[in-house]
Amino acid sequence: MATEAKAVTEDVKIDLFEDDDEFEEFEINEKWDDKEEGKEVTQQWEDDWDDDDVSDDFSVQLRRELESTTEKN
Amino acid sequence: MAYLSMGESHRRITEFLNRFSDAVSYQNGVSFKSLFALSSNSHFLLSLADALSLFNDANRLINQNENFSQFADIIVPLFRSLQHYKQTNFVEAYNAFEKTANAFVQEFRNWESAWALEALFVIVYEIRVLAEKADRQLASNGKSPEKLKGAGSLLMKVFGILAGKGAKRVGALYVTCQLFKIYFKLGTVHLCRSVIRSIETARIFDFEEFPKRDKVTYMYYTGRLEVFNENFPSADYKLSYALKHCNPQHEANIRMILKYLIPVKLSIGILPNHGLLEKYNLLEYGNIVQALKRGDPRLLRCALQDHEDWFLRSGVYLVLEKIELQVYQRLVKKIYIIQKQRDPARAHQVKLEVIVKALKWLDIDMDVDEVECIMAILIYKNLVKGYFAHKSKVAVLSKQDPFPKLNGKPVNS
Repeated sequence: MATEAKAVTEDVKIDLFEDDDEFEEFEINEKWDDKEEGKEVTQQWEDDWDDDDVSDDFSVQLRRELESTTEKN
Repeated sequence: MAYLSMGESHRRITEFLNRFSDAVSYQNGVSFKSLFALSSNSHFLLSLADALSLFNDANRLINQNENFSQFADIIVPLFRSLQHYKQTNFVEAYNAFEKTANAFVQEFRNWESAWALEALFVIVYEIRVLAEKADRQLASNGKSPEKLKGAGSLLMKVFGILAGKGAKRVGALYVTCQLFKIYFKLGTVHLCRSVIRSIETARIFDFEEFPKRDKVTYMYYTGRLEVFNENFPSADYKLSYALKHCNPQHEANIRMILKYLIPVKLSIGILPNHGLLEKYNLLEYGNIVQALKRGDPRLLRCALQDHEDWFLRSGVYLVLEKIELQVYQRLVKKIYIIQKQRDPARAHQVKLEVIVKALKWLDIDMDVDEVECIMAILIYKNLVKGYFAHKSKVAVLSKQDPFPKLNGKPVNS
């Protein structure tokens, strides 16, 4: 009985008050340079990936699969 | 452990009291704030706790001097809290500290300038952290945890006091962020709404006046709320702001911002470089990005399954699941391009059967009707331009721009 009760409270403890992504506190007077600010990290995005290139491995295999299908027809 | 004498205890307590009264007299915010930082485990406060336990009659020292007795309501419970804290009686420590906080707030209102704002921040922070410790202790003893909720109410009160016209108002965003942390921990995020409304619509606040560190934290949490509510353009704006202005040394925080920003970017058709995922240890998104690039619904499903728990816990699972439509768009586009290379004249007619075969190759078992359904949705959501000839089971694509790009906007809902 005692171990059962303990198991329940353990579960409760784990489920309670969880935010895996709690932002870490900055120091009260923490300041940083405007120039330092995440320039690098904001430039790491691609918006031109949706091109017409079908020379990658996946596309080559896809083409092979589609062509084999039409041959069967 | 060194022997602690009565004399030394008396000295330590008096030192604290003098520091307190001097800080107020000279409006020395830096000295003042150090007096309340319980969880900093400073030598000064911990050794004071020992002195209080031994000396046992600090109240007499407080009451016999006017400089100290006028702050008795703040200091007496603070001493009690400190002793309880040292003995890890967090519930009692919290209860006492709450009294200190309430008394402090009363005094704070009377101080015209904002000299004690940093001390207020320390108190607000300690209230939250002590409440968390207290609740964990309550829960582990089988009792109902209610201190963090109480801390939330107290902080709302503090917010109200800062929401005025004076110099103190720049502190309101810090308190807001502490409230966010409480509400997110409690899972009562709907309570964020009222503070957000105050910050964003009240005329007393000019967002630009707030310190950068608070603006970054604020945009992170409100950005997360926008993700939760699936307002992607807004989420993109807020999380990107947080990312741009966050101290680059704080890699843990940058990682957290990216964790939520990446699914948002994916939803508007923008992909992170693989280097970014590597640097910030977010490789859980690796195969999702790859699936989009390829047009591979099987890879997407695998990726969702492999990291299901992780995605569910952060609440982005549904956002990522919806990317499936974009993946299908890319697959159909590839089929179209491949056909076009072979037979340009008839490329714009895509037999549904061909899509069925492609999916089968990817171990996705769908019949022609199901594929027709998907095509219908793609057309409806403007991911594909065209129509289909239902009888002949052919999708007839528009000759111009058959696969419109998202251009930074989310898929039509």
